[in-house]
Amino acid sequence: MSKPYYVEIVEKVFEKTKDMRTDEFKWLGKIIQRWDAVDKVTGKPLFTLDLVNRIRDAVFLYTVRTKYAHARIKKIDVSDAARYPGVIRVITAKDIPGVNDVGYVIPDQPLIADKKVRYIGDTVAVIVAENYHAAVEAADLVSVEYEPLRPILDPLEIVEWGGLREKEHELIHEERGSDVVSRYKIRRGDIKKAEQEAAVIVENEYRTPFQEHAYLEPEAAIAWVEADGSVSIIASTQCPFDVRKAVSQVLGLPFNKVRVRVPLLGGGFGGKEDVANDIASKAALAAVLTGRPAIIFHTREESIIGHSKRHPMIARYRHMARRDGTLLGVEAEIILDTGAYASLGPFVGWRAIVHSTGPYKVPNAKVDLAVVYTNHVYAGAFRGFGSPQVTFAFERQMDLLAEELGIDPVDLRLKNILRNGDRTVHGQLLDHGVGLEEAIKKVVEASNWYEKRKLYGKPQGNIVRGIGISAFYHGNSIGAEGADFSTATIIINRDGTITYRTGLTDFGQGAQQGIMNIIAEVLGVPPSYIHLEPPDTSATPDAGPTVASRSTVMGGNAALVAAYRLRERLNKLAAELLGCSEDEIVIDAPDVYCRSDKSLHMTWQELVEQAFWKGVPLQEFGYFRAPPAEWDEETGQGAPYMHYTFGAVVTEVVVDLETGVVRVERAYTAYDIGRVINRVGAELHAEGGFIQGMGYALMEDIYHSKEGYVYNKTLSTYHVPLMLDTPEEIKSFFVEAGFKRGPFGAKGLGEPSITGIAASIANAVAHALSAGKLINAIPLTPDRVYMVIKKKGLNPF
Amino acid sequence: MAEYKPIPVTLIVNGKEYKLEVPPYERLIDTLRYRLGFTSVKEGCGRGECGTCIVLVNGRPRHSCLTLTATVDGAEITTVEGLAPKGKLHAVQKAMLDTHGVQCGFCTPGILLMMKALLDRNPDPSDEEIKEWLSSNICRCGSYLRYLKAVKLAAKYIKEGKIYFDEEEARKTLIANIPR
Repeated sequence: MSKPYYVEIVEKVFEKTKDMRTDEFKWLGKIIQRWDAVDKVTGKPLFTLDLVNRIRDAVFLYTVRTKYAHARIKKIDVSDAARYPGVIRVITAKDIPGVNDVGYVIPDQPLIADKKVRYIGDTVAVIVAENYHAAVEAADLVSVEYEPLRPILDPLEIVEWGGLREKEHELIHEERGSDVVSRYKIRRGDIKKAEQEAAVIVENEYRTPFQEHAYLEPEAAIAWVEADGSVSIIASTQCPFDVRKAVSQVLGLPFNKVRVRVPLLGGGFGGKEDVANDIASKAALAAVLTGRPAIIFHTREESIIGHSKRHPMIARYRHMARRDGTLLGVEAEIILDTGAYASLGPFVGWRAIVHSTGPYKVPNAKVDLAVVYTNHVYAGAFRGFGSPQVTFAFERQMDLLAEELGIDPVDLRLKNILRNGDRTVHGQLLDHGVGLEEAIKKVVEASNWYEKRKLYGKPQGNIVRGIGISAFYHGNSIGAEGADFSTATIIINRDGTITYRTGLTDFGQGAQQGIMNIIAEVLGVPPSYIHLEPPDTSATPDAGPTVASRSTVMGGNAALVAAYRLRERLNKLAAELLGCSEDEIVIDAPDVYCRSDKSLHMTWQELVEQAFWKGVPLQEFGYFRAPPAEWDEETGQGAPYMHYTFGAVVTEVVVDLETGVVRVERAYTAYDIGRVINRVGAELHAEGGFIQGMGYALMEDIYHSKEGYVYNKTLSTYHVPLMLDTPEEIKSFFVEAGFKRGPFGAKGLGEPSITGIAASIANAVAHALSAGKLINAIPLTPDRVYMVIKKKGLNPF
Repeated sequence: MAEYKPIPVTLIVNGKEYKLEVPPYERLIDTLRYRLGFTSVKEGCGRGECGTCIVLVNGRPRHSCLTLTATVDGAEITTVEGLAPKGKLHAVQKAMLDTHGVQCGFCTPGILLMMKALLDRNPDPSDEEIKEWLSSNICRCGSYLRYLKAVKLAAKYIKEGKIYFDEEEARKTLIANIPR
């Protein structure tokens, strides 16, 4: 089969530029001010709710949620609420014209519950009122008769160790016949034989918590009905095309009658995937039922109980190695708690198992993973998507192994890591672009690892310091999860400016600047020529979801393909006009000239004008599809992702022995991202990803009561890192082991920047306290750490 | 909701006087955002926990989500829209650009106003003071280390007498000259 043209273009550009240093490019890897920075520091109305002032005659929505985490609904009576002054209508499940479901991967999540509620955030009705206050007040008047059921909050009530068989229990999802959402396995080599050959075996059980995205902009959506009956929506969502699909389904409308636009997002981190389906569908429904524009927004409390979280994990790991440290095998059982609904759980589980043994050569592996329902708040996508959980576990295991063998943790990792020419645990050959060794060496050198590893770990008065490392890898884009394509539209306007349209959103971390840098580099124009048009499902082709760190690689490739084809045409035209060969043409807008004779010159604008006269089309549609991934369900063998981002993180912590408080003092991160495209964005990811990962490691968790209520649904009870928690220094290094199917060799960094953080911090705490197997759960809150200090006899009292 | 008699209130927002009649329960954030259109004021929690709604009331930072409009009658209020004259950027805004502190931008207005209020009080704050002061604001994208640099840079600009910068110029500055 011949290679698709778009793969050829991407590989050609890679081949041509792979030996260039990044500083030799004009725009790639430069310190560039992001396109929206000035608008943001001047407070322009950029977010969904900022547009409310422009909407006339709107109705306001408020969601009535269940009082029980697990119950059957016997009867819903909304008559009192409907009579409340200002209330226009109360929407229940029976008002839905289409399908009452907003499940992301599988149809298990009703938009408005009518038979059963499965967690404390389930919607039972939606109040539509003339103003927000009336809607909130009327919510208390909706009367629901429930038959409460016992909530199941422990995943170990659903499945049991030793094969993860499903236990006898009253089903949360009886309609599905099972509360196991999905199962995955890896079978490689002969684990029994590995066990026999092993000189050491270390085993432990690990637990990781929920994590709340806590993006500062709560969810919001505005919907109205157009004159032709189609529905327009403005929503704070990561995935406009998925929202369009969900709304189409709920309203029973075809895709081309639903238009979704996305202004800028005040953070997403994975959380604004499926919750946007929920709120956009509610707004659209209200708009259709009342004929007026409808506005819905979440308070912080609603946001915390109303959207997905990072999956908590419980896992048992056994690592087997030779006396010299060579890994022989990994055996593991992993349980992910997806809460009441699958959300992206099936995909999260898959990503977790793919990465479950880490960036190491593992000749023998037997790993089983189950994603199970409980009556917790539902879990879905969160930056890292299953990886941070398993990375915490396997990296703690590597440290335990090092301790058992008396080998330095860095040396043990260097002995086992993947290098060019190695095969992953799935049997995937990595023939190029593996920069892990360099990443590890960079953080080890910068942190002065060997010296500090000896120096730390000895209490000095009431404190003790520790230093820890983690290494990890993270598959790029969505791999075998689904159809992995992306698109971009580039239009060169007659005045020489450029319109760039994409269906990928920018959560705020500036991924789109990277894509604009690619367009600028290929076309030879400054990024300031480019105007980014935010996603609009009616104006931009379906680019797939904005997830899985795929903007730079997938969106970047699509833009690269479009820009490359435009550049080819412009080169040809300029060559004709200037009288030199096509490869002699230099475009450094506003100048266009021949390399050998700069007097053969014209301006960018003249060239663009000539294109219009000569019939050279200056609009291009770029498409890129990732090479199909391979995955054998029975063995977990194949090539799950097209390639991997690699990274290493060293963290220094200080533990207060009186209080158990852990503070991160310094951090060193190194990421192999193939090629630095957007330097500012890359650095901010390294810093911001670290800080978010530090929250995951030290303070963040969602606490449920035994009835399934959420205790901490505000930002004063759900703790995220503040400036005072921030380390003095987060050093970031980038390794550029180019990937031939990334734009100019680039790979993604969005998720990798959080994947290894908790593991690195936990390893540092374990080092500080010589705590070994006792550090087996995060967050390492003061109470948890203090219990370890006590057990080790390190407490000063 | 029961009907209440509106209360007459005069606010001076960013130097301009507004005579309003507001219900007694109206929050300052809603007056600013929805009555007067100052949408730079963001609501992240409605409980004074995240800092996105902070505005300056007579020069002092205040959570506009916890302030009833009727209680600040006659006050001078500054939002990000009023940090600098039209077409200009204040030193804290310029420093924020130069240190690349902007990510999603939702916390940015509150952070900028906190920076301004801090530098008005102490033109030369220590690292510890800056950290403590800005810990009233959550930034989930994690630009904290940039904010530390930005406050110091803004302090330097102000000390050098550079309080306002040209906005158009800043838009054109693609490759920023940053102290790294």
